[in-house]
Amino acid sequence: MPVKSYKHIVSLLAFVAPAFIIYLLFLLIPTIGGMYYSFTDWNGLNRNYSFIGLGNFIEALREDPDFVHSLLFTLKYVLFMIVLQNIFALVLAVFIETKTRTKGFFRTIFFMPNMISTIISAFMWTFVFSQVLPQIAEKTAMSFLDQLWIGDPKVSFYSIIIVSLWNGVGYMMIIYLAALQGVPQSLKEAAVIDGASPFQTFRKVTLPMITHAVTICFFLTLNGAFKVFEVVYGLTGGGPGRSTQVITMNIYEEAFSNNFRYGYASAKSVILFVIILIFTFIQIGVMKRKEVEA
Amino acid sequence: MKKMSKGLLVTFLAATLLAGCGSNNGGNAGNAAGDNTSSGSGSASAKSVTLKMFIAQTRFKEQYDNYIAEFVKKEKADKNIDVSVQLEMPTADNASQILKTRLASNDAPDIFAIHAVNEIPSYYKAGYLEDLTSQPFVGKLLDSVKPSVTTTDGKVVALPLETLSWGYLYNKKIFTEQGLTPPTTLTEMKTVIGKLKAKNITPFVLSYKESWIPQLVLPLAVGGMMKTEDPEFVNKMNKDEGSFSEMKSAIFDVFDLINENGTAKATEVGGDDGAAAFAAGKGAMWLMGPWYAETILKSNPDLDFGVAPLPINDNPEATLINLSASTSLAVSPTSKNKEVALDFLNYVLDDQASNGLFQAMKFNPVSTVHTYESYPWITEATTYVKAGKSVQDPAIPQSVKDEVGKGLQAYYAGQMSQDDVLKALDKAWKSYNKVNK
Repeated sequence: MPVKSYKHIVSLLAFVAPAFIIYLLFLLIPTIGGMYYSFTDWNGLNRNYSFIGLGNFIEALREDPDFVHSLLFTLKYVLFMIVLQNIFALVLAVFIETKTRTKGFFRTIFFMPNMISTIISAFMWTFVFSQVLPQIAEKTAMSFLDQLWIGDPKVSFYSIIIVSLWNGVGYMMIIYLAALQGVPQSLKEAAVIDGASPFQTFRKVTLPMITHAVTICFFLTLNGAFKVFEVVYGLTGGGPGRSTQVITMNIYEEAFSNNFRYGYASAKSVILFVIILIFTFIQIGVMKRKEVEA
Repeated sequence: MKKMSKGLLVTFLAATLLAGCGSNNGGNAGNAAGDNTSSGSGSASAKSVTLKMFIAQTRFKEQYDNYIAEFVKKEKADKNIDVSVQLEMPTADNASQILKTRLASNDAPDIFAIHAVNEIPSYYKAGYLEDLTSQPFVGKLLDSVKPSVTTTDGKVVALPLETLSWGYLYNKKIFTEQGLTPPTTLTEMKTVIGKLKAKNITPFVLSYKESWIPQLVLPLAVGGMMKTEDPEFVNKMNKDEGSFSEMKSAIFDVFDLINENGTAKATEVGGDDGAAAFAAGKGAMWLMGPWYAETILKSNPDLDFGVAPLPINDNPEATLINLSASTSLAVSPTSKNKEVALDFLNYVLDDQASNGLFQAMKFNPVSTVHTYESYPWITEATTYVKAGKSVQDPAIPQSVKDEVGKGLQAYYAGQMSQDDVLKALDKAWKSYNKVNK
């Protein structure tokens, strides 16, 4: 027996090694390096730098109002995205599932925006917001369309949400569609025979059966929304001023355009990493408990 | 047994994979070694040298290649050195990242291009720039250009290629039709604006979507003030003793005036859209430098426009053209072929050949050897410079410039007051001092 388990380990290692070594070289080591730099004041250019302990972390959370603002703005964005993206995706999935003949068509249509890269869709929408909508407003006298969609900080948050949803809903919808197809028809029929209304069937039968998909979608949305960058970069560039600056953008600005404080920017990234880690653990922990088996 | 052999086979494969990586490195090292020996011994008569250059201007590849070819010929004829040049041209977006990595890992190119005003101070401090003060080309530089490549302790560390002289752009056709001339004081500016508005012409094109555009008002205001009332401003700021509140009226008097008389929806108009609007005559003036000339002429080839200094108060002495340099060539102090590298730099300002290079790349003249005819708007800016109506771009740290762009955007959108903006600027400069002490 021991010989066999030894062989088992060797072959496991042999199969994992190529991927693991590349992962180690290009992801794990740089990540740990980044964490190390977060305790230094390296500026990306000097040969020598000093170790300053938790100084960067304290500065980020205590003395950097822009960072805290971007953190709160990102949290607001995450909240809106989790709720809206999942609701829209689920509703679309349920509606498309009821169609038998045109299912493929609608699925393709709603998934299509997801195939365009985020930054390009952001530029497309910039054009829509700044050129198309004002023109429509002029031609049709719908004056509410003629406003500063991306130039006014109060409105631009919703513009960002619109573009993110347009881009992201399709993917979640596909996951929900797959899950819906896995719900046994017999259970639904049994519920109908017992006199359940369509809404009751959905709530008491379908929804519990697709909780695993909900877990995945929440996880993906949460993770993606915290790391949002391209949409905001393409639409508003974080502006006007820093009013729509998200956390990744704040980090980017710190590292590559201000004083090149790589150490400080690394510290901010570590903070973001920890936040995402905590939120994801809580979310997975809570939702795993609610899942049921068919 | 079969399983065992399979396992072994896979391990072997993995090992070959790794060995493959390893042998690649070995191969590179071997090549590098080969290069060294060849440059060391070479043939008895001609010395051969490989010169590495790093210039992030892909659009001028042809011009550089031609010029380098001529240099190689000249070096062979004059000194009997066989020079082969490796010209690296990454895209401008990540060039400074690549360069920094190369410098930090002791793999510096012999000659590299950096941004004169933004990058020289930090690179010089880190010890990556060779002192070029004693080189012959320094004597040929125009006096108006030299300060932008000179460090605070008086050493010339780079050769400027691209220089800028700018204020704001104005539509000459509109100005002539209305019988106007570029104003020299803020009051005159108000008169000009009044006359334009009376004819239903929007005085200014506004384009504040990109934060570096509203930022432009800062170097102009600070430059004007430093030449007249506040010459020690930058030094004071560097010692944590000054404050931007000294600049409050210089910045905001003119900025408010421009905003009140500009086109709508400024926060949604970027640089290119602004250029199109200006080219279409939607505004008579645009707070922008002549670096947008190409874009403007692309959308309206017939547009006649000029460069004029922006008035910031009622002192005509403070209405000045801003002079600065951007792309500049520097030599690495660790270069093994320093002699050849310096020869190349001197050749860039060669008495005969230099004219052709600068003209081909459409750069402004930087040296006394440049005698070619430049664009009308550059000639116009140069007349101001010759009349002494110019100021060296004040050495404002890049982080402060970024901050002022964001601040003025927010100010325009009504989110920050004037004092908030100035406070944020003071803070940005203080943190710059802290980081770069």
